[in-house]
Parts: sequence; C-alpha cells; structure tokens
Amino acid sequence: MNRLHPLSAVAYAIQYGFLWLWIPIVLVIALGGATGIVSPAWAPFAAPVGFLAGVAYGITYYYRFEYEVTETTVDVASGVFARRSREIPYRRIQNVDVRQGIIQRLLDLAIVSIETAGGGTSEATLNFVSATEAKRLQREIRRRTAAVKDRRRAGNGETTATDTDADQVGSNASDLPPESTDTDGTGPIDPAADRAEPIAPDADADRPDVDATADRTTAADTADSAPPQPDRSHTDPTTDEPAAFDWEETRETRLFDLEPRELLLYSFTSFRPAAVAAVIFVFFLATDTIFELLLTAAQPFGGPQDLETGDTQSYGILTIVSAINGVLITYLVSVAYTFATYYDFQLGRAGDDFVYERGLLQRYSGSIPVEKVQAVTVTDNPVQRLIEYGGLWVETAGYGPDSDSGSQSAVPLATERRVYQFAENLTGVETPAFRSPPTLARRRYLVRFSLVALVVVVIAAAVAQVTPIERWYLAAIVFAAVPPAAHLRYVNLGYYVGDQHLVIRRGFWRRRTTVIPYYRIQTVNTRRSIFQRRLGLASLVVDTASSRSFFWTTPTIYDIDLADARDVHETSRKRLQAALRDRARDEVGMEVDFT
Amino acid sequence: MRMESLHPRIRLLWIAQAAIGALVVGIVLAAVDRWLTSIPTVAVFGIVAVAIGLGVAYAVRLYQVWQFELQGDALYLERGVVTFIETAVPFVRVQHVDTQFGPIERALGLSSVVVYTAGSRNADVRIPGLTPDRARELQDTLRELAVESEVEDAV
Repeated sequence: MNRLHPLSAVAYAIQYGFLWLWIPIVLVIALGGATGIVSPAWAPFAAPVGFLAGVAYGITYYYRFEYEVTETTVDVASGVFARRSREIPYRRIQNVDVRQGIIQRLLDLAIVSIETAGGGTSEATLNFVSATEAKRLQREIRRRTAAVKDRRRAGNGETTATDTDADQVGSNASDLPPESTDTDGTGPIDPAADRAEPIAPDADADRPDVDATADRTTAADTADSAPPQPDRSHTDPTTDEPAAFDWEETRETRLFDLEPRELLLYSFTSFRPAAVAAVIFVFFLATDTIFELLLTAAQPFGGPQDLETGDTQSYGILTIVSAINGVLITYLVSVAYTFATYYDFQLGRAGDDFVYERGLLQRYSGSIPVEKVQAVTVTDNPVQRLIEYGGLWVETAGYGPDSDSGSQSAVPLATERRVYQFAENLTGVETPAFRSPPTLARRRYLVRFSLVALVVVVIAAAVAQVTPIERWYLAAIVFAAVPPAAHLRYVNLGYYVGDQHLVIRRGFWRRRTTVIPYYRIQTVNTRRSIFQRRLGLASLVVDTASSRSFFWTTPTIYDIDLADARDVHETSRKRLQAALRDRARDEVGMEVDFT
Repeated sequence: MRMESLHPRIRLLWIAQAAIGALVVGIVLAAVDRWLTSIPTVAVFGIVAVAIGLGVAYAVRLYQVWQFELQGDALYLERGVVTFIETAVPFVRVQHVDTQFGPIERALGLSSVVVYTAGSRNADVRIPGLTPDRARELQDTLRELAVESEVEDAV
C-alpha cells in the first residue's frame, strides 16, 4: 500500500490543528458559564491542547490513509477511528483527474480524484500526492482500465479494431471488410466514420503546423517524462499482449490546442453565471465600500453627493450608472474567470481516452474514456454565431470534474466549420440535413410570448396602482419584441434522423446541437400538452444517461407534427435495438482521433 | 389488442389524494381567515368543493387515458391529462424494478411498480394501481426481460 506525499501530513496536521483548536475553547467557555468549575480564562491554555490533538489526528490520518493500484481494483483505505476501505473496479472508473492549485504547483504536488458514474461526489480523492506520482497514477489506471476492457473483449471472443488486438483482427479478418480497419487501428468499424474521413484533412488545413509539431513534441515529452513502466500485466495469464502495446496505449496524441486568439474570443464571447454569484458575494461582503465606489463613479455624470442628499434626478442617474457598472464588472469577472479556467487548454488522446489539461492558476488535467461518452453537443451563443465560432462538449454519465456536471468541454471554441467537423468525425454522424418543425410551431411561440408580454403589461399596470408611475401602458412596447422572439426561437429549432444518430438543435441564447447515438438512448417520450393536441403537434424527449442534461434541459425535439413525432419515436427505438445487436457482434465506438 | 389499464380502484386513490390536497388548502384558507383577513366561509367551502370536484374529474380522466403494455423491445406507457405522454422504456435500459405501496394504496389493496433507468430525466417510471399479484408478476417479467436483453454497455 502507498501513502500520500509526506507534505500532506503537514497539511492535514495544520488543517485539523486549527479545526480542533476551537473544541476546548468552546468547551471551556461553555462549562465555565454553566458550572463555574472551570474558568473561561483557561481558554488560552486549552487552545494549544486542542491544536496539538488536532495535529496528532492529522498526522495519524496521514499514516492511516493508504492507497494501492492492484490488478483489478484501485483500493483506498482511510480513517483514524472508523476505518473505511474501498475497492473501485477499473471498469467502473469514469475519469481520473489531477488538480493543482497555485501552492500545490509551487510545491510540485497534486490532488488526484477518481470518478465513477454513480454518486454526486468523487469516489476517491488523494490529497496530495507528488505531481509525478499523480501522472503515474493517471497513466497506470488508464492503462489498466484499457487492459480490463481488452480482456473482456477478448474473453467474449469479439473482434475489435484497436491495435492491442491487432492479431485477433487479423485472424478474424473474414468477418470484416478489409477497408474497415483503420490504419491507426483506433477507428470504429463504422462506414459513417470512413465517409467523414476525406473531409478531415480539410479541417486540419486550418493550421497544419500546430498539429504536426504538437504531435512530435508530445511524443518527445512523454518519452522524456515517462520511462516505460515495468509491465505487470505479464503476470496476468489472460493478457498476452507484448509490453510494447501498453506503451503505445499510454502515449498521448494531441488533438486540439486552444490558441491565444481562440482563448480570448472564448473569454469575451461567453458568459458564466458564476460571475454573478461572485459579484453578489463581494457586494454583501463589502457593501459600504462598494456604495462609496458607486457614488464616486456616478458623480461625474451628476450623481448625488452621498446617499442621504439627492433629488430624484441624481438618484436616477446613480441607479443607471451603478447598473451599467454592475453589468460591466460582472462581465469582466466572467471574462477573467473563463480566461483563467481555459488558459492553455489542450485536448489529446491516450489509448481509448480523451485527456485534457487546462487552467492558469489552478491547473487541471482529466481524462474521459471514449466508451463512456453519451452524447456530443455543439454550443454557440448569438455572438459566437455572428463570428461563426462554436464549442464542443462531450457528455458523460455521472459526476464530472467540472463539479456541476458530467460534461466536459472538448473544444472550448473553434471556428464553426471545424467544430462541426470535429463532432462529425468524433461520432461518425453524417452531415445533418436539419428538418424544421411546421410553421404552426412558430404560431405557438407567437401566442406564448404574447402571453408573457401581457403579463409584463399587467405587472406594469399593477405597479402603477401603488407607485406614482404614470403611463404604464408604455410597457406595451414589449409586444414589439414578440414576433422576432418567436421567429428566432423557431429558426433555431431543428432535428435530423440519421442512420446511427439523432441530431437535435434548439435554443437561441445558447443554441445546442446535440448528437445522440441511438445506442445511448435511455427512454423516448412523446409529449403533447393540451395546446399541442389542439394543433396536432408533439414534442419528443430523448433521454440519455448524460448528467449534463440535468442542468440543461433533456434533448427535446419541440413541436413537430404528431405523425413525425411518432415516426421518430419508432425509428429511435428500432435503431436502438439494431445498434445494440450490432454492438453485441462487434464493438463500435466513437472515433477518438476526430481531428 | 387493447393495452392494459390500471385497476379501477386507483381512481379512489387519486380522489383521496385530491381530497387531502383540497383539505390542506381549506385549512390554510381557514387559518388565513382566522389570523390575517376574513374570508367568507362560503368561499372557503366553495373552493374546497371545486378542488375536490376537479380532483374527481381529473382522477376519472386519468384512469381513462392511463394504459401500458409490454411490447417486443420496451415497456410502453401512455398517460397524462393536461400533457399526454407516451413513454417507451427499452428493456435493456432497465436498471432495477421495485414494487412499492403507500398507506392509502395499501388500504385499497393496490401497489405500484417503479422501473428505474440510468436516464437523467424521467429516470424512474411508475405504474400505479396494480393488484399486488399483478405488480409482482410484472416486476418478475420486467426483471427477466431486462436480464435477457442485457448487453455489455457501461454508462
């Protein structure tokens, strides 16, 4: 069993020391107040006792925390008094993530967390190990996960197209058309992927220099930093691959680098709701100072001298200027946050995993097993659409390292053409020819948004009753926004029923184009509200196991003709069964080398 | 072939639930009347009566539309009064199947089958209003079908 980095003993000791410090203080004060046997004046002497106890606990915690990477599981045993030992089988492991804050980077430490599909938290967190150990663990676990998978495939006597099973593919070649085995051996046996292939060099043409050099440098990097490990899989009778294959598996190929230009565009064109929370938090923390700052900022424009003295006009100016300031600052915080999060973003491939790295202050590295990918989504907002850029998200099931979801940004921002190309290469979906809902749907949105506008006017009228505001009927101007809003909602809806995938597009502010492989479908629902039934429309909700959908809405094809909805419903179900049969025969996965 | 309907007694369960809801509203209104502003007693009774009436109508209608069927590849359900929903749960997606019954259900001699999937929304699908025997039978069938169609497909 391995221990954490010795410095984590220090960290735990300090952490628990300061935590436990308060226990005797509170006890002494409480007992002193209640009984009089002890005096509250003893608190300064009691505190060090608590601190020392905490330090002792922290150090014991360090010595009682052990982890090991075994043949079949990752074992973690922890706990000073109540012991907990946990074994995580490789096939359940979703991601292995490495996080490094500023201090950890200075001390060359890292936090490793292991995620599985279940639960809302990490399955195991190693806090801290050395940076090299973190890399080793990440690689080792990835390698063993891949080995377990290969063994399972081999055990089933199935043919695969990965190079670890190259000789098997050879022996079973009669099952497969020869052209379906990719040259690099990682591709799926998927005619759609082959079709997409010829277009791929076109996408690369954007910047051939980067891809080529990145490939070479990464290979060199890995060769430097990672001496070939003693290959323990030899001891396993069921694996018969030579060690060289494992080495191949762990080598990383670069797929995408976020260039400075793209990083800046991404920072400036996206908005993070977290920034609002941060600004509000700071506002509550330092309300007085901020009010003073806002006053000072508004004064050149005719704001009041202070909060007490001012007339209606100067208060109005203060409100408007402060609102502009607030929006501006929130936006800048969001820009800075995005910049720091996605600074030096890199996406690569190692074996059957995507690996990525990002972050300016807190460096983050994680991996996504390709077989765990549920759906792929291209997102863009109106500004990004204007400059023809978009982002690509990969959705996995369960808890993800982005803390709020199981979806990771595979390509934060790139030109639209390239992003769609990535999505097509990654999933093997053919270029979708989107179908729109009937124009009847637009009429629905017209009615719906008119109702919203009506509510706004009614609220304005109600406010006018209790405040001196007159001319509330001017609020009726919101009706002017109704037709464009309805139209924009309508034109951003679309769906495509592919051979292997369903593609669903929806949303204006954050338009999402989701590619769902049929074999990832969990349930299919046709929904008809009372209004939709009157118009003969229906919405089709396609549920997958991706947890991103928990925060975004579940992929839904809105307001299509009932007959079409039933048709897509039936088709999805049939193709799910067909895809499952195909997959039972030969494993068809996602294309890893999608650039 | 006609799809399977729920047990007629399920209407009593839904009516009972609606009545409980209406009573809670009545109690809240009575409390408002007592401590905040006066509400005419007739209005309180009227609201409760209308709520119960709507609940009864809803229960009757819901019973009429609620049906389910075991199809070749999936459990198929139709339900909903305001929003009508047709759901297909492929057997291979069934994670586990529960039978459950609450206090009112138990009093009425009914139970529910709950089918769980790994999905994010609608992750559990409930078929209420089954006799305990039918529920157990359905649970067994679904479990067998789920095992039969199982594939090596981790999420």
